[in-house]
Amino acid sequence: MAVEYDPAIIGRVFEQTDPQPVAAEDIKTFCQSIGETNPLFTDEAAASAGPYGGLIAPPSFAVTFRNGRHFFSLVPRFGKTGFDAGKDVEFVAPIRPGDQIRLASHVKEIYEKTGRSGSMVFVIIRCTLQNQNDEVVAHIDHRFMSKA
Amino acid sequence: MATTLDLHCHSEASEDSRAPVEAYLNWIKLRRDERPLDGIVLTEHRQFNRDADYRALEDRFGIMVLNASEVETDYGHMLVFGVNDDILSRFDFSDIRLNAQEVIDGVAAMGGVVVPCHPGRPNIGLCDHYDKKPPLENVLAVELLNGGSRKGEDQRSAELIKRHGFRATGGSDSHLVSLIGLCATRFEARVRTIEELVSELKGGRFEAVDFRPRRSAVPRAIPVEAR
Repeated sequence: MAVEYDPAIIGRVFEQTDPQPVAAEDIKTFCQSIGETNPLFTDEAAASAGPYGGLIAPPSFAVTFRNGRHFFSLVPRFGKTGFDAGKDVEFVAPIRPGDQIRLASHVKEIYEKTGRSGSMVFVIIRCTLQNQNDEVVAHIDHRFMSKA
Repeated sequence: MATTLDLHCHSEASEDSRAPVEAYLNWIKLRRDERPLDGIVLTEHRQFNRDADYRALEDRFGIMVLNASEVETDYGHMLVFGVNDDILSRFDFSDIRLNAQEVIDGVAAMGGVVVPCHPGRPNIGLCDHYDKKPPLENVLAVELLNGGSRKGEDQRSAELIKRHGFRATGGSDSHLVSLIGLCATRFEARVRTIEELVSELKGGRFEAVDFRPRRSAVPRAIPVEAR
């Protein structure tokens, strides 16, 4: 039996977070934690002379922003079990110290497939990160798999 | 003039692959001595991109790129070659419960050909379904060699092929760049278009070829004094 859901949920933002401030110290700590030494991300003086005119966060910093408190309870579920099946991150614009980043989440896609273990339903939740200027800085697609 | 094609691979157009077509072609170009392919056939999951145009890449690398599809049916996964507007109008490729017999017969009637893939794979291969249901009619060939097979799966496929007298194809089922071309199909004739591919598949003039590196025996322990 085909998976049933209300198609109107596709594309509708179901949660939006409050702006989360980005401090230079946050970027520094993140770089230390992953061993990042590129001066574009770690050295304000060197970064000022670089292509971005100042310090920016490493691209993977985008995944440190937390979803809203109700994110997981709002994700559509199919079946009894499931797991996080991975993430795709699209980096659009640099994140800089002083930015205020907010996340808006919507269901991008729901699809079924079959594999060695049987049929599965995948729900793709797209979290779009925007800064205080409404500029999109990244998209994070969370892939959740459910099994009956 | 023979033609060797990887008949089963997925590019980043499939949701579970991250392999760009350009990277596939570059990999093949660099390793043609190990995997002597003339081309690849993209078989994206549950879709067919009729607008895909890889001519610039084909010219750049000298490697052919053809388009097909992998669909999901009540008898497991199947490769559809020669996809056209009539076939796309008749079948919803995103449906994971397609009727296999209808797909095989419908596609053939509309100028294409269907090849069940990885038949030895649990749940989504023909073998499991043949254990529980009557065999399908009008199956010309099935995939014998699949680069993603686990231990014993190709053997199950071989037994099925022997039992039913199918012709056998090969494909890498690559989702990663480095796996492209590990298994392929060698055609007796020159194949340059999807129409020629369909014709040769229907004519049965091909064989599965295996380019997977042979695994050496389990390494012997090195005596301590020799280390």
